[in-house]
Amino acid sequence: MTYRIVHKTTYKYKHPVAFGNHSVYLAPHSQGRQRCESYKLLVTPEPATRSERTDFYGNRVSFFTIQEPHEELAIEGHSVVTLDGEVSWPAQSMAWDEVARSLPLGLTSASLDAFQFVFESPRIKPKPEFAAYAAASFPSGRPLAEALLDLTARIHRDFEFDSKATNVRTPPEQVLRQRKGVCQDFAQLQIACLRSLGLPARYVSGYLRTTPPPGQPRLIGADASHAWLSVYCPEAGWLDVDPTNNLVPSQSHIILAWGRDYSDVSPVRGVILGGQDHKLEVAVDLEPRPVP
Amino acid sequence: MFADLFQIPFADPSVYNELASDGITPRTHWAPFINSLQNITPDELARRWERAERRIRENGVTYNIYGDPLGKNRPWALDPVPLLVPSAEWRYIEAGIIQRAELLNLILQDIYGERRLISNGDLPASLLFANPAFLRPLVGVKVQQSSWLHSLAVDLARSPDGQWWVLADRTQAPSGSGYALENRTIVADVLPEAFNTSNVRRLAPFFRAHRDSLLRLAKSDNPQVVLLTPGPYNETYFEQSYLARYLGFPLVEGADLTVRDRKVFLKTVQGLTPVDVILRRVDDSFCDPLELRGDSFLGVAGLVDSINAGNVTVANALGSGVIETAAIMPFLPGLANKLLGEPLRLPSVATWWCGQEPALRWVLEHLNQVVVKPAFPLSGMEPIFGADLANAETRNMSAKLRAKPHAYVAQEQVALSTAPVWDHGQLHSRSLVLRTYVLKTGDGWIAMPGGLVRVAGADGPVVSMQKGGNSKDAWVLWDGPVDTFSLLRRRGQPLELRRGSSDIPSRAADNLFWLGRYAERAECMARLLRCLMARVRRATGAELRCLVRLHACFDSQHDLLPKTRYSTPRDLEDELISLMSDAGRPDSLLSTIVELRRVGGQLRERLSTDMSRLVGQLADAASVEEYMLFIEYSAVLDGCLELLAAISGMERENITRGPGWLFMSIGRRLERAMYAVRQLREVTAPFDEASWPLLDYLLEVADSSMTYRSRYFTTLHPVAVLDVLMSDTTNPRSLAFQLSELAELYQKLPRQVPEDLKAMQHANALLAELDLGTLDYPVPGADRAGVDDGARAELDRSLCYLQELLRSWADNLSNTYFGHARTLPISIGG
Repeated sequence: MTYRIVHKTTYKYKHPVAFGNHSVYLAPHSQGRQRCESYKLLVTPEPATRSERTDFYGNRVSFFTIQEPHEELAIEGHSVVTLDGEVSWPAQSMAWDEVARSLPLGLTSASLDAFQFVFESPRIKPKPEFAAYAAASFPSGRPLAEALLDLTARIHRDFEFDSKATNVRTPPEQVLRQRKGVCQDFAQLQIACLRSLGLPARYVSGYLRTTPPPGQPRLIGADASHAWLSVYCPEAGWLDVDPTNNLVPSQSHIILAWGRDYSDVSPVRGVILGGQDHKLEVAVDLEPRPVP
Repeated sequence: MFADLFQIPFADPSVYNELASDGITPRTHWAPFINSLQNITPDELARRWERAERRIRENGVTYNIYGDPLGKNRPWALDPVPLLVPSAEWRYIEAGIIQRAELLNLILQDIYGERRLISNGDLPASLLFANPAFLRPLVGVKVQQSSWLHSLAVDLARSPDGQWWVLADRTQAPSGSGYALENRTIVADVLPEAFNTSNVRRLAPFFRAHRDSLLRLAKSDNPQVVLLTPGPYNETYFEQSYLARYLGFPLVEGADLTVRDRKVFLKTVQGLTPVDVILRRVDDSFCDPLELRGDSFLGVAGLVDSINAGNVTVANALGSGVIETAAIMPFLPGLANKLLGEPLRLPSVATWWCGQEPALRWVLEHLNQVVVKPAFPLSGMEPIFGADLANAETRNMSAKLRAKPHAYVAQEQVALSTAPVWDHGQLHSRSLVLRTYVLKTGDGWIAMPGGLVRVAGADGPVVSMQKGGNSKDAWVLWDGPVDTFSLLRRRGQPLELRRGSSDIPSRAADNLFWLGRYAERAECMARLLRCLMARVRRATGAELRCLVRLHACFDSQHDLLPKTRYSTPRDLEDELISLMSDAGRPDSLLSTIVELRRVGGQLRERLSTDMSRLVGQLADAASVEEYMLFIEYSAVLDGCLELLAAISGMERENITRGPGWLFMSIGRRLERAMYAVRQLREVTAPFDEASWPLLDYLLEVADSSMTYRSRYFTTLHPVAVLDVLMSDTTNPRSLAFQLSELAELYQKLPRQVPEDLKAMQHANALLAELDLGTLDYPVPGADRAGVDDGARAELDRSLCYLQELLRSWADNLSNTYFGHARTLPISIGG
């Protein structure tokens, strides 16, 4: 399946902005089943400087500055992404407690990279309360892949999707208490649960296809960026799960970037001079096209 | 007699006594110093020391204690007796700390490079991944001359057997060398006899190397180096400004810098100056709100990108804080062998990082023998002495360690050596820690010969300047020739006359501009409030409607009639009280004064003590107590207005006419002009006979009642009022006066924008051309028929246009001089 994606973010400032310095994570990953065929970043007004780097996690991050007064800033990421093949969910996997115990001891480059996602990050602090919630899904010796699906299903069942209940800064502790939130909150909560058990989990930012395939229900979290998570399982590799929709991402999820939590990969970020209040509009358009 | 002066307690065999091993007979290297000291009578020494302490206060040598009720500016605590270090011992320390700097630099290079030490298992991965000071955006950057560490501070302590141990490494932004320098100038001055005969190694060559090595980190021929400070509230702010002056680099805050075209610039009212090297005293994670901590106000957005582009060098490199942790100490002996091929020369104090299972087990079993500390900085945790813990607390601590082992280190508690401290003619033994400094120069590492000695207070062996300890100079007694180079101006050198610079930092100009604006805004508000408060209780009908119109002048958006919100005096009265004293309302008088004080605080280096005091008093005077009687509000307003008058008097008479004064005056004129326009628009708005009382109020608010009476006696007429308050260029409260001042002041600024000057000149011309004679107003009692509102509507359009013009003009001024951004054209029309 090939997708043509347009992700447009528009800031309308109350007062002219004299100067702006921005970073964006809008370039889709090219890894595994996902291939980024093209990516273009359009910015209005035209930036004075642009640069691009690959960050520590392997994401493409773009930087630009606007050095002329402006009252509106439009950032458009245009990309074409192809998803090949099916997701192979492991029939068998290592016991979760064995993973937690042995991970620090193994030093392969893959497990070393995964190991960093065990620790606390700016927005996610492991705590006993998360471990306590997760415990029902993680009896001793249960295979990690199986326990993971169980926890995903429980979060989907116990938590209510409510876009009014939280904002981008709501900590997972509060989400756990109020049992409400959006995709970002559920992803961060599940990561907090897994890390509290000593398991490596990373935050994934991306898109979700909006129009359902014939005969299937429409998925929640569409029309904007989506977020889910990925867990490292030795031998099987990274396993993605989407607690918002209780499923394993396959043909409808496109990966933009991953990191320890939202703060590592927020799609658009900026430091501006002036502006005062602003209005923000985000529009994501995902157009599926059959593979030519 | 020796014994008369020095009451040294008997030797404590459990600690090393720096002065005398038996507590009585000075060690060989102390003997000449003690002899020299004995030639000074206790009274003489006391007299000299008093003079030195006065100098410390006068020079403003301070150290800020966080959470201290005395607040900032605590005088620096110094002891006259230096710590003496003989040459052989110094060579040992020097070689040890230089080796350590080399080693730590290589570790940093690996951490931000290939991380082989991690993949090979020489350093545990969790030591890195659990460490919030590991700054991922800096991984892979190229660092000029591989100087991850440009300087390093190493804290040393001496155990009872005489061995020096490393207590801590400061790799982030080592502090204290400036205090060491200041200590040296004072102590050498108090004890010249001893200093001159002891062949003490000088500090100046180290600082010369410091300056030269920073210059050499730049790529350009004529490099600009700046010292980046967190600001006056930082504990070592004095030292930072002292070092900046001594090294000859500007002291800047994050807001003084900007990144343009991926390069760093210093913002001043004269323009943008490229910056090549930043010597930072801001912790690295606070240095770039775009890529590092987004909540930081201390950094420069885009700095990391500029470093990545190779356009600026930061010392120490961003990311170097990752190894400012005792957790790394257990691994240093192995790493020295591996990376340097030699054993570690200076041992670290026994340290266990709990992130490793065997270490955690050992610590849990020996909790009562160790000090537990946070493994990573910024956690805000105080060290915990295991021996002091009660049983329950021990269990609690053990649970904490088990829950998050990698967040803790445990260290053996060293019995610190003691040195003599002079106190009113007597010497006492106090525990000490020696902070030493290493610097990377073009020709390798060098150590500062000496250091900053910190001594504990009388009540225990814990050494901390934050907890009110004392400091000492450290003299390295050399056996070879010493370099007597000095960076300070010698006494007796001819004085060079200087005048104020025509340039100031944009941040200071910005704050001065707002100081002027807030002071004037507060005054305009207080005048309006006083006029309203005096009348609101007794107001009825037409009078109340006039007061409501006057109240509308507070609103910066200034909507014209109808204003029906306040239909009773009681409603308006409540609104006035809220407008005066509601701290939760950004447009209240109290909030304006709080802002004034905040801006004044930012300018504390630039305002006289008298001025600062007035600003502080104003904030006190403006606060209103609960259940205050309504009549008392006028007294509060009178008090505020008196202080505000004193501030504006200071501004006129006590400030040199440099760019700072210009911006402050422009701010004041601009604000007064904005208020004047709003008030005048109430006269051009629909105006009937019932509006007549408004004229009286406006004259009173503009302090122009006397002027008016002297010209027109008691006959009130709108046209005459407009003439006095709008067009009369001799009235310092008129709109014309403000606009003419603004045009004049603006022409004294550097880098004027011709369009902006033209816009202000146009505003002046527009006002001068207005013909008040064509205005037609209904006279009370006369027939309203036949009144022509056309000319009045025309005047109102002009005022409305001026209101917009002033707003855009202020934006442009701020963009040109403070933000260094392009300006938008001001429409000239009207």
